[in-house]
Amino acid sequence: MATSPALDVPVEPPSKRQKMSSEPEFSSSPAPVADLAEQLDAQERKMYVKGKKIGSGQYADVFSAHLVSDLKRLVAIKKIKVGAEAKEFGISYDSLREIRFLQELDHPNIIKLYSVFSTKSQNLNLVLEYLPQGDLLKLVQDTTNISYTPADIKSWMLMLMRATYFCHQNFVLHRDIKPNNLLIAANGEIKLADFGLARSFADPFQVMTYNTVTIWYRPPELFFQAQFYGGGVDVWSCGCVFAELVARDVLFRALPENEINMVKLICEKVGTPTEDNWPGVSKLKGYVTPSEYIPIRSKDQWMMAFRAIGETGVDLLMKMLTLDPRKRLNAEQVLKHSFWTDEPRPSRLEDLPRKGGGVVAMGEELTKMGGEIPYGKARGDKVARKIDFGA
Amino acid sequence: MSRQAQSRTQPITRRPADTEGQDEICPVCKSSRYLTPSLRFLINPECYHKFCESCVDRIFSHGPAPCPIPGCHKTLRKHRFRTPTFSDLQVEREVDIRKKVAAVFNRREEEFEDLRAYNDYLNEVEDITFNLINHVEVEETEKRFKSYQLAHQAEITDNVALAEQERTSFAQLQKEERDQAKQRRDAARREDAEEKRELVENRRDVLNRLASGQDAEVVAKEGQQVHLKKRMDRVAAAERQRVLQAASNGSSNIVIKGLKARQKQEPDAPIDPFGGLSYEGKYHVLQDDYVWAGVQESKADVLIGAGGYDVRAFTGRALCEAFAGLGVFVADEMDDRDRQKMGDEKNDEIATKGAEVAASKGASTAKGKQKDTVMEDPF
Repeated sequence: MATSPALDVPVEPPSKRQKMSSEPEFSSSPAPVADLAEQLDAQERKMYVKGKKIGSGQYADVFSAHLVSDLKRLVAIKKIKVGAEAKEFGISYDSLREIRFLQELDHPNIIKLYSVFSTKSQNLNLVLEYLPQGDLLKLVQDTTNISYTPADIKSWMLMLMRATYFCHQNFVLHRDIKPNNLLIAANGEIKLADFGLARSFADPFQVMTYNTVTIWYRPPELFFQAQFYGGGVDVWSCGCVFAELVARDVLFRALPENEINMVKLICEKVGTPTEDNWPGVSKLKGYVTPSEYIPIRSKDQWMMAFRAIGETGVDLLMKMLTLDPRKRLNAEQVLKHSFWTDEPRPSRLEDLPRKGGGVVAMGEELTKMGGEIPYGKARGDKVARKIDFGA
Repeated sequence: MSRQAQSRTQPITRRPADTEGQDEICPVCKSSRYLTPSLRFLINPECYHKFCESCVDRIFSHGPAPCPIPGCHKTLRKHRFRTPTFSDLQVEREVDIRKKVAAVFNRREEEFEDLRAYNDYLNEVEDITFNLINHVEVEETEKRFKSYQLAHQAEITDNVALAEQERTSFAQLQKEERDQAKQRRDAARREDAEEKRELVENRRDVLNRLASGQDAEVVAKEGQQVHLKKRMDRVAAAERQRVLQAASNGSSNIVIKGLKARQKQEPDAPIDPFGGLSYEGKYHVLQDDYVWAGVQESKADVLIGAGGYDVRAFTGRALCEAFAGLGVFVADEMDDRDRQKMGDEKNDEIATKGAEVAASKGASTAKGKQKDTVMEDPF
């Protein structure tokens, strides 16, 4: 298999990547029998006590665990399953991406990767932050038991946008922002998780895959098969999350979930992309629009559906869901929007609604592959991979 | 002389204040208790003048009439007349006023956050009461009273309901306690009887066994043991019962009163959407444009632009990466890190070393989580 442009990490055995052990220098240990990498690995592994399995999927198992030195410090250990694929190609790209980016990103709204170690038979174990409160999707979907206010939405969105901004400032595209990748910590904080589809910003003329991001949250430029894109894709996904939080339903829920239906839906709800509102769009490889031309939706029409977040909120939402990625706000501009400082003030963490079912939800979430549609059992759920990240 | 003799004849039936002669005589009909022992005096809270029952009937049964006492021009109604509780009518009046004020100013200690506020409130209430009692600025005080009543209508009724509820639940609690005490007594009595019966039974059993020709010593010992065991069982059961009961109604009769739990009310800082993140390059300034073929060509390429690829993101990154290492001294940072680990082992995150080194590149002065927010480039 040719190296994917989506993956700019040289594939190397996991043991070599163990630079996080506390053994600092080669000189300090006499290196008796086992080689250094194994020693360091063992040392790392012995820091944690693995507990109950809290989730299991086709791709990974998740265990709760705690530190040997401190029983109260809980962590989640995501053990990536080795399959036939691993024998042939080594570690999956998803886990490599996840390790690579999470290792470097340290932000209150991004899930923390404490360490990585391997166990016998070259299993990869990621030690992740323990997030017992479930995910945002559970809150959005539980319309009977959970109600939240515009202030809560603002608080959640602010945390999400800070995480996105932080990623972009560090030249990382998340490429899979959606409510069920937003886990909730014990204190109510939102944590962006699942960096399985992330990549760093590309150089000019470096081709990126357009077949990424869960389909309902995918921006129009990816449907038109743009191979050069930027932070705008994440902002579009954030906009979808924003709208979903308000309406408590997926904004672009195309059924059946294919690209044509999505494009149709985006045209219906936002407007048809044309050369006028998006210069150069017709040059894109996959540019197709429904025959019926729908003008860009006016602010009044948006207001009808999203009155709850007020005029500034709708203004921000419209600017996040702008068709042309160049006109779409970037993460920094989003944070500079007056919506955040306007009334109502974002809810404090302790006032945000909570929902139980947490640990299990986290377990489920962490076992998933990127790009899966989170809603119920759909046809083809059992199919190994729906998206080809290869090129 | 005859007066003294009288007071001696009925010393018990009389209240001490009643000994004064004028209290015994109705100011209207001049009939006295001496001649009519069944005489009852009534007052009207309008003016607190005292008349005998028959006068009240006579004067006011045909509707409102002015007070017959000269100089008092109050109009009185019959239905407001009542027997005074206190013989001193000043006291009667004061108690009435206090009742009236307390019914409106019924805020509770729990509603206040600090003692100062509560005391201020009590002071205000007492001021109003004092003014009403002593006829100081009556009109103004009445106005204050009315305006408070109007403004706090809802709270007043709430507190009345609350007080009522407390009263009933307290009564219920007392009744429950009495019932439980009775049950305990009954249980103790039953236990005593049981114990006695068992003692007798045990003795009879021992005798029977002796009669059937068993060894006397063994039988006596066994009998004693059985008795002892039963008794221990009973004691244990009683103890268990007691513990259970204590748990079931444990803290129910403790009433905690006091100020409202104090909540920290810090004024909210203005929202900072960036949450303290700042990416001002210390060593470089990003220009709008760079005269370099790669940049220019990609800028000109429609395909690249239309997809949302931002060349500035690329140039920014290139600059950032070029300058990221400036001012970074790995040796110093490792020292810093070690010191920090010693310092706040507890709240320090178990971040991976790689991340830590990268994180401290930006500014080694910031500590803990803050350290990462100034990170310029993790790669």
